[in-house]
Amino acid sequence: MMNSSQARSLGWAAVLAICLALVTVLSFKVHAVKSEVLLAERQLIWLEREKLLLETEFETRANQRQLAEWNQVEFGYAAPRSGQFLDGERQLASLGEVRGPDAPNPIRLARADIGDGAEGDAATDAAMRSPVSGAKVTLASAATEKDAGAVFTQAFGDFLIEASPIRPAKAETPRLAKALAAQGLTAQGLGE
Amino acid sequence: MNMMAVSMTAATPVMPAGRLPSVTLRARLLWLARVRVLWLVAGFALIAMIALLRIASLGFAGTAPQRTSLEEALMPPRGELTDRNGTPLARAFPAYSLWFEPGAMGDNGSPLVHSSAEAARQLKAIFPDIDEARMARRLASGKSGYLRRRILPEEANRVFALGEVALEIPRETDRYYPQGTLAAHVLGYVVEEKGGQTGMEQVLDARLSDAEKRMQPVALSIDVRVQGALEDELRRGMLATNAIGAAGIVLDVDTGEVMAMASLPEFDPNTAGAAGAVNVFNRATNGVYELGSTFKPLTVAAAIDAGVVRDFGKQWDASPVAVGKRSIKDSHPLGRSLNVPQALVHSSNTVTARVGDAMGAEKLRKTMIDLGMDRRPFIELPAKGRPIWPQGPWSRVTNMTVSFGHGLAVTPLHLASAYAAMVNGGIWRPSTLMKLAPADVPRGKRVFKESTSSRMRQMLRMISLYGTGKTADAPGYRVGGKTGSAEKAGRGGYDKTKLVSSFAAAFPMDAPRYVVVVVVDEPKGTIASSFQRTAAYTSAPIVGKLVPRIGPMLGVQPDDTRDVDISDLRYLVDKGE
Repeated sequence: MMNSSQARSLGWAAVLAICLALVTVLSFKVHAVKSEVLLAERQLIWLEREKLLLETEFETRANQRQLAEWNQVEFGYAAPRSGQFLDGERQLASLGEVRGPDAPNPIRLARADIGDGAEGDAATDAAMRSPVSGAKVTLASAATEKDAGAVFTQAFGDFLIEASPIRPAKAETPRLAKALAAQGLTAQGLGE
Repeated sequence: MNMMAVSMTAATPVMPAGRLPSVTLRARLLWLARVRVLWLVAGFALIAMIALLRIASLGFAGTAPQRTSLEEALMPPRGELTDRNGTPLARAFPAYSLWFEPGAMGDNGSPLVHSSAEAARQLKAIFPDIDEARMARRLASGKSGYLRRRILPEEANRVFALGEVALEIPRETDRYYPQGTLAAHVLGYVVEEKGGQTGMEQVLDARLSDAEKRMQPVALSIDVRVQGALEDELRRGMLATNAIGAAGIVLDVDTGEVMAMASLPEFDPNTAGAAGAVNVFNRATNGVYELGSTFKPLTVAAAIDAGVVRDFGKQWDASPVAVGKRSIKDSHPLGRSLNVPQALVHSSNTVTARVGDAMGAEKLRKTMIDLGMDRRPFIELPAKGRPIWPQGPWSRVTNMTVSFGHGLAVTPLHLASAYAAMVNGGIWRPSTLMKLAPADVPRGKRVFKESTSSRMRQMLRMISLYGTGKTADAPGYRVGGKTGSAEKAGRGGYDKTKLVSSFAAAFPMDAPRYVVVVVVDEPKGTIASSFQRTAAYTSAPIVGKLVPRIGPMLGVQPDDTRDVDISDLRYLVDKGE
């Protein structure tokens, strides 16, 4: 049998042993982390060198002389002329000036279709009504993101047309909806 | 202990007969066993102690596995040179070379796994340009050495895949110039163990190899895109006129920073080594030329400054000037008399000589000294040409010949700095190849009055509108400049067959930002130059094509609605309207 002082010293010894064990475990852990850091550092060095190599290779392949030669043979880009520059906001604004009352129609050689512009959104919004109540349907996706509807439509359009009564309206591309709106058709009519 | 005490008490004989020896024997054996255990424990403890000591000594004194910090490992052996926008122009580049080490196998047998002919055939498949038979002899000879000085990483991988131990691929750090020959004269090259040679590599040698500073790249003032365009146009112009060389400079008029500087023919700093390189002669800073008529605006500016030319409508006699035994004539007759703007527009030697004469030798000499024409050019490069400067007080003849750019030979860089001073409001600044922060721009010294400078802008613009500089007038860029064609001075006078044609220009003339100087050395009359050799057909078109290419990059937009106001001088030249 041990007395209380023996038990206490045994207890202290046990605590000491546990602490020692913990310190040992901790130091192992520290060393493990250290060597991990070292490995990571080595990898960083390797990657930096690789980056340098690739960057230099890119710079070499795209050196000024090579670019000039490619331009001469393949692309033929010329230096910009003065007509290609705008001199400040005033000149930019002058391009959007309203035509005078007797002015002839401007000759246009090119036209850009802006499917996701502000007008396009207005048209698709106008076409979207609930087939049941006839009330306007505001899509959460349309409200947050302009493109989301089109992206969604492209991905799941056909699938959703069959699945849902409201979806056909949503499944149209904005341009189609716009064109339909111009013809007096509504998406509601199509859906039924 | 208790047990022992118990056994001892138990072993005390009551009747010590017969059993006594066995009791002592038992105690003895027990004792012996304990001693043995003790020895064993002591032995283990000793071994453990030795092991621990050894570990501790290794831990404290032993060589730890080599550990380099991130910075040390990534620090280049020589600092990087970049252009003003940070594009690398020269960098330390890890490269591979191919080394033949016959003793690598460690035995006395054949150094190669395959036969030398087979190995040579395999190498030929990787490097198609090698001579297979020679390589086979080289491998059979058993002498160690470089087989190839530089190989690409993918080639190194393929060589490694051959499995030949004797073909070693040591990694070496190389000085590499990604842009190749571009700006070779500005950069120079590096020779192993000797450091930088010519160019900024030599100038910045200490800075680039300093362990404290080489982590930070050094930014030069040149812009690699502008340099590329300048070299491209110069090369084309040089080849079109069959010239022996050409030089070009683009200089910032307000700071003196060199945006681009080229000298053709060029060399490749990647291949230049200990043996040196051909074409290291820098025509832009080292070649001195009599630049001819490009000096006329400087003379006129000095005359306006001195108050000799006040009335621009005044007619000056344009007949040949007889000075001593010689006579100064115009290259083609320009009429009986001309005013100063006409003299510049039509490049009249006689009127410029008379203007110089009226001003006096001392004033022109002082202006030329103020423009730094009597010293080597102000630039960091080690290759700086000493001008051929008329010594002593100038005679009347010297004065008159210098006034139209003869009898004084300077580098193209001298001319660029002088033109910058003439158009920027009259402040001369030393040129530099280091990128300058706005606070570091030198204050410079005043050479011309502000009013003189603005007059000169008008007249330079008129030269390219109505005169010999028409071919340099890039639409929208308001280029103004002066042509110059001078015969090269050889033995016993000027050589009529050899010409140096130059064009010095600034743009945009309403608020000059950059000076462009182009010098073509010995152009020939070709179809491309309409069988002419003069600057209007050789160097001015180069400027005309160069300015639209570099203008937008340098922040100068073409604009047809802006120009310098020449309305008060125009009627003096443009009589037709």
